[in-house]
Amino acid sequence: MSDSSAPLSAAQGQPKAGFVPLSLVAAALFPGAGHMVRGERTRGLLVSLGVLWLFFGGMLVGGIDVIDSREDRIWFVGQALVGPIAFGVDYAHQNYFKVRDPKSGEFRSAYPGEGRDPKTGIAVAGGSPPNRKSIAKINELGTLFATIAGMLNLIAMIDAAFPTARAGGRRLTPSDNAAQGTRP
Amino acid sequence: MSPCNMCLTSLLAYTPLIDPIDLHKHWYLLLIPMALGIALAYKAVRVDDLRDYPRQVAVMTVQVVVAMISLGAASYFFVQYLVPLIVAKG
Repeated sequence: MSDSSAPLSAAQGQPKAGFVPLSLVAAALFPGAGHMVRGERTRGLLVSLGVLWLFFGGMLVGGIDVIDSREDRIWFVGQALVGPIAFGVDYAHQNYFKVRDPKSGEFRSAYPGEGRDPKTGIAVAGGSPPNRKSIAKINELGTLFATIAGMLNLIAMIDAAFPTARAGGRRLTPSDNAAQGTRP
Repeated sequence: MSPCNMCLTSLLAYTPLIDPIDLHKHWYLLLIPMALGIALAYKAVRVDDLRDYPRQVAVMTVQVVVAMISLGAASYFFVQYLVPLIVAKG
């Protein structure tokens, strides 16, 4: 935890006050990466640990069913804030776990006792479903875990992009950069 | 089927990250890992000195769990005791 005072050491190439676009982009791409780009590696790793703990914790609880941009669109808006990981999991869910209904042609979760044709994705009777759909409290909690992960990553993105909140108990301002000879 | 066999069956059917976990009877225990996860991510952003991080995470986790239990108890008290009193007086 050697970078605990990183925001104060801007002159040594450490985080600066003001808007840091690269940190925002990095934080949006992977949880914690924004802080790592800014030089706060330990903080970035801890952000990553917390956000991914919640996101994958949600999947451990409710299965892949909790990440679903079609059936739970509103929840997915929050989950999407985790970044490309959420979109990747959703893509896998939609394309490799859902089955195509033989009558309507729509993608849906497989029913119990129904399998998935690996070539066409069409539901076939008699197999076992690629995944079990979560229900009740377990589904609610798993979805909530993953959505909270996205919300917290939004806080981390803002903190990475606008590093003004920590400076040994006071706020960093652009004038701190000027005093240390760095650009705001 | 005995309860032990049922546990074993549900455990064998569980594929992590793909299938839901069979915790329907003890779902409230999931409050603890959720509170811990929230504290892990939030305190990573919030604390000034990361040497305080483990203690602050522990404190926030306990605070969230105690607050949720208290809210649950308060809701129970309101619905089970206060509402019947209000209805009886009305």
